[in-house]
Amino acid sequence: MIKKSTLRNLCKIVDEKNVVFESEKLGEFSIDGVLPQIVLSPNNIDQVSEIMKLASKDALSVIPWGSGTKSALGNKPDRADIILSTKNLDRIIEHGASDLVATTECGITLKKFQEALNKENQFLAVDPPHVTHVNRRATIGGIIATNDSGPERLRYGAIREFLIGIKVVKADGSIFKGGSKVVKNVAGYDLPKLYVGSLGTLGIIVEATFRLYPVPEYSQTYVASFSSLEDCQETISTLLNSHLVITSLELLNPDLAASLAKRNDVDINDSRYSLVIGIRSVEKAVKEQIPSVKKICDQNNGNGFLISGTPEEKLWEDIRNFPWIILKSDRVVSKVGVVVTQIPQVLQTIKQISNEYGVKIYVSVRAGNGICIIALKGEGPSVNNALKHLRNFISSINGHLVLLEAPSEIKNSFDVWGEIGSGLGIMKRIKANYDPNNLLNPGRYI
Amino acid sequence: MTTQHKTKSSSWKNKFREKLIEIIGKEGVISSDDELLAYDCDALTGYRIKPVFVVLPTNTKQVSQVIKECYLENIPFVPRGAGTGLSGGALPTDEGIVISLTRMNKILDVDIPNQRVVVEPGVVNLWVTNAVSPYGYYYAPDPSSQIVCTIGGNVAENSGGVHCLKYGVTTNHVLGVEMVLPDGEIIEIGGKALDHPGYDIAGLVVGSEGLLGIVTKVTLKIIKKPEAVKTLLASYDNVEDAGASVSGITARGVIPAGMEIMDSLCIKSVEETIGAGYPIDAGAILLVELDGPSAEVEAQLPIVEEVLKDNNAIQIKIAKNSKERDLLWKGRKSAFPAMGRISSDYYVQDGVIPRSKLAEVLGEIAELSKKYDLRVANVFHAGDGNLHPLVLYDASKEGDLDKTLELAGEILKVCVDKGGSITGEHGVGHDKKRFLSLMFDDNDLDAMNLIRCAFDNKDLCNPGKLFPTPRTCVEPGMKKFEEHPVQKAGMGEMY
Repeated sequence: MIKKSTLRNLCKIVDEKNVVFESEKLGEFSIDGVLPQIVLSPNNIDQVSEIMKLASKDALSVIPWGSGTKSALGNKPDRADIILSTKNLDRIIEHGASDLVATTECGITLKKFQEALNKENQFLAVDPPHVTHVNRRATIGGIIATNDSGPERLRYGAIREFLIGIKVVKADGSIFKGGSKVVKNVAGYDLPKLYVGSLGTLGIIVEATFRLYPVPEYSQTYVASFSSLEDCQETISTLLNSHLVITSLELLNPDLAASLAKRNDVDINDSRYSLVIGIRSVEKAVKEQIPSVKKICDQNNGNGFLISGTPEEKLWEDIRNFPWIILKSDRVVSKVGVVVTQIPQVLQTIKQISNEYGVKIYVSVRAGNGICIIALKGEGPSVNNALKHLRNFISSINGHLVLLEAPSEIKNSFDVWGEIGSGLGIMKRIKANYDPNNLLNPGRYI
Repeated sequence: MTTQHKTKSSSWKNKFREKLIEIIGKEGVISSDDELLAYDCDALTGYRIKPVFVVLPTNTKQVSQVIKECYLENIPFVPRGAGTGLSGGALPTDEGIVISLTRMNKILDVDIPNQRVVVEPGVVNLWVTNAVSPYGYYYAPDPSSQIVCTIGGNVAENSGGVHCLKYGVTTNHVLGVEMVLPDGEIIEIGGKALDHPGYDIAGLVVGSEGLLGIVTKVTLKIIKKPEAVKTLLASYDNVEDAGASVSGITARGVIPAGMEIMDSLCIKSVEETIGAGYPIDAGAILLVELDGPSAEVEAQLPIVEEVLKDNNAIQIKIAKNSKERDLLWKGRKSAFPAMGRISSDYYVQDGVIPRSKLAEVLGEIAELSKKYDLRVANVFHAGDGNLHPLVLYDASKEGDLDKTLELAGEILKVCVDKGGSITGEHGVGHDKKRFLSLMFDDNDLDAMNLIRCAFDNKDLCNPGKLFPTPRTCVEPGMKKFEEHPVQKAGMGEMY
């Protein structure tokens, strides 16, 4: 419990309208059923620092919060005294268009950030889910903290490749920066990297500087379906081993293909594995590469069609967001990392698990880099067992499975992160040095 | 007994040497004075310290055992690859040993379908590309020293090269490391698959200049060679126009594989040395390399040409074949050694500025050159704003070196004032630690120190590097010592 006097002091730091403590309003900030006592939305970095100083003094736990799109990630928090919302830290500080860099406060939504960058025909090359949702839109800070990414990672890499500078408020309220505002820099430790995927356990990420890319002028997507997984895999390896520069290469399992076919006006064959192959570049380069893509698919018995414009955008939007679109509730979403050549085994095993446990499983595989987004439908022991079976299999082939979202009953008996490995000790020491009283997101991660 | 006394005592030295031999074998322990001299510096030859011993382990276990002995005896150790570093990162430390990784030089796994290569740290950068090029792949980071420098050293320094504008630097190509922590523990981070759960320790270790432990195995990403490559050479009356061309090209949405600028002094010395076909009377030249699918390169080429012309390029030459292209690049890659032709000695500076500030910074460098009465030749990785001003001096002239270092330091101040960095690829090491506080305040440095302390609380691993002033490690949870107000006011002292 937060002491009354401390509550009063906390409320003095931010404006009245930026405090939420009424129990009926706190519900939307629930994390695995754990409710905070107060939600504070500071207006600037100094206020963040003041809050952390007070929290530190009274050993209050603090949960950083962007817009809550990924609040289901992580184990159940041990405690949650304060939720610190970054929603008011949404100002773009500088966009150096001629240097292809931009610095922004981290509470800004990716959507708003991209819209500003687009004015100069530039963009931040990440395409994670939850960007266009009506109410809750992924923020820059949240994307950094969860290392979220999307299909275009094949071409551009994940956010770690673009994050060149960072400003953080540590647990004790001290403010520091790491990296720089230029694209090439090796002065000091690369602290921005440490914050990518740190899930708010090492500080409140308040400012970030990114390198940007020019918006590609043209885009087309070829969608092909395959009756056998072998043909599909052969196509993938031929594409990857070719000179084609593919922006995104997604492999959908039949259940997902069927579901997306229903939602989109495109003719996806719903009983087969589908490959969705996107190329973005100058118009000439796109138009000359697509026929090669088609030829490779044809050679491997893949039937396909070409889309561009709105249907293309909508299909990719659906692929990025499929677990949350298809399954409105009772969903179990996980992210698996394997190497590309293991993809067929993973998909075979998923099919087998789906049959064995009678659980519907939707899978989208980033076929160029081995990241698989897997959504299981339902709850109860069968889903739980299917999930455990899948984790065991993935571990047995040296891959890893992280649970992105699941009902509490599953999380209670399933470690979200799985085996972290021999690096866990050093991670704990870093955590202890940055947050000695374990105030930031206690219990959820490291 | 303090460390210092220890390493001076011959009985302790003999005993410690025996232990090292027991771990590595006689051939892997260097202790004779003349052989130790070969390790007393890296490519920053102005500073030299003779180590107590040099050990050359052949596997991870040996590295771990050596480090455990050092930990037990409080002996500092410095990791070393090929010793090509330019910031003194592998400079031995007083009373410490050097751990050279050159005998751990095996390529462990070439996995083409998954586009991964696993190597030991002593593997030379170029060997990686050589191992995968029969399959049409290459390893992207290509520092100028790539024929000798090692992957372990590249990891420590986060090395770049001439193609990093488009393809990134070492950190963008390292997916996992096995390393020995400064207490001897062996850990494995990341690997062939992406997004291992846990903090991005590999991201932290790359570029940590050998302060966080010794990397013993590295998983690298390789990429497909591009279908087409076009290299253009444009000459200009002045460097400003060349700089404006660089910004102009990216503003048009084109990200070339590399963009390099050389000024007139550089052009002259390169031409006199190797004859790369550069126009010898030009004020500056710009090399632009486009690569990718043929259609993309073909579409970009006219855009680039247009930008070059708009920015007053006098002459534009496009390499017709790989032979011509190699010659154009050879000129750039021999820019440093070519300085020997026009000056007895030179100091290589390494700073970064926002690309758009190129013209102003060059003006300021020219003024500094006048002020110090020393010639400065300029080569840049212009695409990413990484400057390499070469300060020419004569070591035999009294005071010339001091003046040179002062001028080189002034250049860094200019870089930071423009929002840039004191180093883009050579590292802080020993050479630049006093400049680190130009970029980072005490809070920033404290945050870095917390990392160092998490890894190396005894300060044994490459100590005395990177940080401007020694920083101690405080136990987690302990409050930092704060001055009493009376002290702060200068009214009393602690006793």
